[in-house]
Amino acid sequence: MDPATLLPIADAMPVNWLWFQVLLTTTTFLHLVAMNIMLGSGFIAFVAPLAGGEQMHPLSRTVVGTLPYSIALTINLGVAPLLFIQTLYGQFFYTSTVLMAVFWLVIFLLLIVSYYSVYLFNIRYDKTGHNSIMLGLAVSLLILVAFVFINNISLMQRPDSWLAYFKNRSGTLLALDDIALIPRYLHFMLASLSVGGLAIAIYYEFKRRHGSEDVERWITYGCNWFSGSSLINFMVGFWFLSRLYGTVVNPDDPAGKVFFLFVAASIISIAIAVINAQVQRVYKAAAWVMATIFFMTMAREIVRNIYLRDYVNLTELPVINQYSPLLVFLLVLAGAGGLIYWMLKKVWSELEVKS
Amino acid sequence: MNYPIWQLEFAGGGLLIAIIAIIHVYITHFAIGGGLFLVITERKGLRENSQEILAYVQKHTRFFLLLTMVLGALTGVGIWFTISLLNPAAVSKLVHVFVFAWAVEWVFFLTEIVSLFLYYKTFGRISNRTHLTLGWIYFISAWLSLFVINGIIDFMLTPGAWLETADFWDGFFNPTFWPALFFRTFLSLMIAGLFGFLTATWIKEEKLRTNMVRYCAKWLLAPFVLFLGAAWWYKSSLPPHLQDLIFQEMPEMKLFIKAFLVSSPVLLFGGLFMAIRLPTKVSRPLAGIMLIVGLVYLGAFEFIREGGRRPYIIHDYMYSTAITKSELPEIVQGGLLQKAKWVKVREINDDNKAAAGREIFNILCLSCHSVGGPFNDIRKLTAKFKPESMKYIYESMGGSRPYMPPFAGTREEQEALTYFIFNEL
Repeated sequence: MDPATLLPIADAMPVNWLWFQVLLTTTTFLHLVAMNIMLGSGFIAFVAPLAGGEQMHPLSRTVVGTLPYSIALTINLGVAPLLFIQTLYGQFFYTSTVLMAVFWLVIFLLLIVSYYSVYLFNIRYDKTGHNSIMLGLAVSLLILVAFVFINNISLMQRPDSWLAYFKNRSGTLLALDDIALIPRYLHFMLASLSVGGLAIAIYYEFKRRHGSEDVERWITYGCNWFSGSSLINFMVGFWFLSRLYGTVVNPDDPAGKVFFLFVAASIISIAIAVINAQVQRVYKAAAWVMATIFFMTMAREIVRNIYLRDYVNLTELPVINQYSPLLVFLLVLAGAGGLIYWMLKKVWSELEVKS
Repeated sequence: MNYPIWQLEFAGGGLLIAIIAIIHVYITHFAIGGGLFLVITERKGLRENSQEILAYVQKHTRFFLLLTMVLGALTGVGIWFTISLLNPAAVSKLVHVFVFAWAVEWVFFLTEIVSLFLYYKTFGRISNRTHLTLGWIYFISAWLSLFVINGIIDFMLTPGAWLETADFWDGFFNPTFWPALFFRTFLSLMIAGLFGFLTATWIKEEKLRTNMVRYCAKWLLAPFVLFLGAAWWYKSSLPPHLQDLIFQEMPEMKLFIKAFLVSSPVLLFGGLFMAIRLPTKVSRPLAGIMLIVGLVYLGAFEFIREGGRRPYIIHDYMYSTAITKSELPEIVQGGLLQKAKWVKVREINDDNKAAAGREIFNILCLSCHSVGGPFNDIRKLTAKFKPESMKYIYESMGGSRPYMPPFAGTREEQEALTYFIFNEL
């Protein structure tokens, strides 16, 4: 059976596909930044006391104190790319989701347990102290959620694997036969450790600049996580590259050329970030890491386009051309952005005055 | 038909979505009315210069945040995930038509998150005026989320002129948009009172506890008349044939209509009873019972609204089987198995009759019927029939059984389905 015959008919989009591509790429970038900070810092907060003992508890306590916010933001910033990917690639995404329905549905339950574990850790900290089990549970579930997500994204871009549905309709398929799955997952997880480490360094650098003492060791600690994870990820990245379809890394293919440029840019930018982190210029390192995540997000989009180009041409998808709702969205986004900025600024300034 | 089908048996017929949706809808209504409850109660504390009331608001905010920000928000994700699995074609349509409405709602939700965290973390640490402003920003964002979602939910029940124009605004500001918005707004205020009981009855100081429980009773009772008025307006806004279908022709709806009608006076008198000075041994369990009654109340309404769409998932456009009204004649003529994408059997013969019946069952029945489960169990429903009488059932679908879509297939496919139901289930 030709998998192309299974492809559902796409619904019409309200505006040109390019709008959704831009929105998808931008919001994916924001989600990845938040997710990396959340998952990476959470993992470090969990393993640091296991390896370093009680002296690491203050670090762990501080990081877990920020997790309710980073989890909330990661989930919220995950909603937008999920919405735009459904608009642009819905016929692929819904299909893969149904094929792995059981795992997909479990995601929100895992997130609820993980989120409440983090809150419980924080609420009970003064009474019970550091609770490794609760934190371990929270972090493990987040790692599991990431694995399910990676599976769905892998499954959606390989329609040839969909034929397995005719042997198993119970919603328990995964993309385990995808040779790129494991390196892709490791690449994402190691990126989280890098960014999580750097986020810790930035947090303490910020504290240092605002008069906190004895924070140097945490800045160094965060930078070491960042540099170490980035170097390992560099090698995993090449493993991942070697497992992608040949067309992705084909220099004769125009899309392959663009992909190569983004990968090269990301290698250069992460190298500069690591150099800056080694001399504890963490803000500069952060700027270069943002650039790296952006380049990798772009490369990610190109990989998807190459994988799916035999099945869909985005420029040929039906369009209704009704732009007024888009305008309303952009106005609301700008207004809310301004309002959020005002709230943060106002609260910050009043807290500064009080302290 | 366009998408693969998750072959649920016991949990088929909408069980999953019913469980997740009722929890989510209850908490999100609390997230709206409860937001106003927080700022108004804080203002009351400030006006009366009562540190005790302010301390209560702070504690209530923690409860509010833990419930709405985690369980409320994530069951929302859960609903989205679940309906995408149960009816991807319908979700795809709703996402494509209303993508920017969903996107606007996402922005409001982001504003809610930031404002609520700031509100919670800054009690007594910033000026009263700024703190109240944060609370107002939270409430307005939450209500605007309702404004957006309400448009999409009611589009599914009454798509109105969108059916002809395919215009976003026609679909969004559909015939039941405004009454449903008022209905849900008043309901959210009442639910704020119900959740208020839960925390107020745990205040240690007796005088304050009595005052705050009475204060919560006002939140439940004051919007009640307006709520009933909005309910009447909502009902009147439904097209006459929908009113007939929901309130007269669907036997399943009777239980939910009854539950809704019975819960109204229970909530009313329960609210009045709570206002009496009661010992905590009585008031605390009663607060829990009132919360459950509220859940039944809202659950009954949602069942009525969801059920009212039948046999459609988007009224007059797409059937609950994900087959659109416009596709139906071609399918009846040419056959479901010829038209469907995710089927293995295309031609029916004696050897594959059961397999073909399974395919047809998956597409046409599973969205509303479970196999051995609590929702519309197909085994129980067909137990009283003989195979040869099933053809009368198929003929009555969309006719004397208006809550079922017309049978989308050929006579041969009907026979295969009957064979499957009576021999394989």
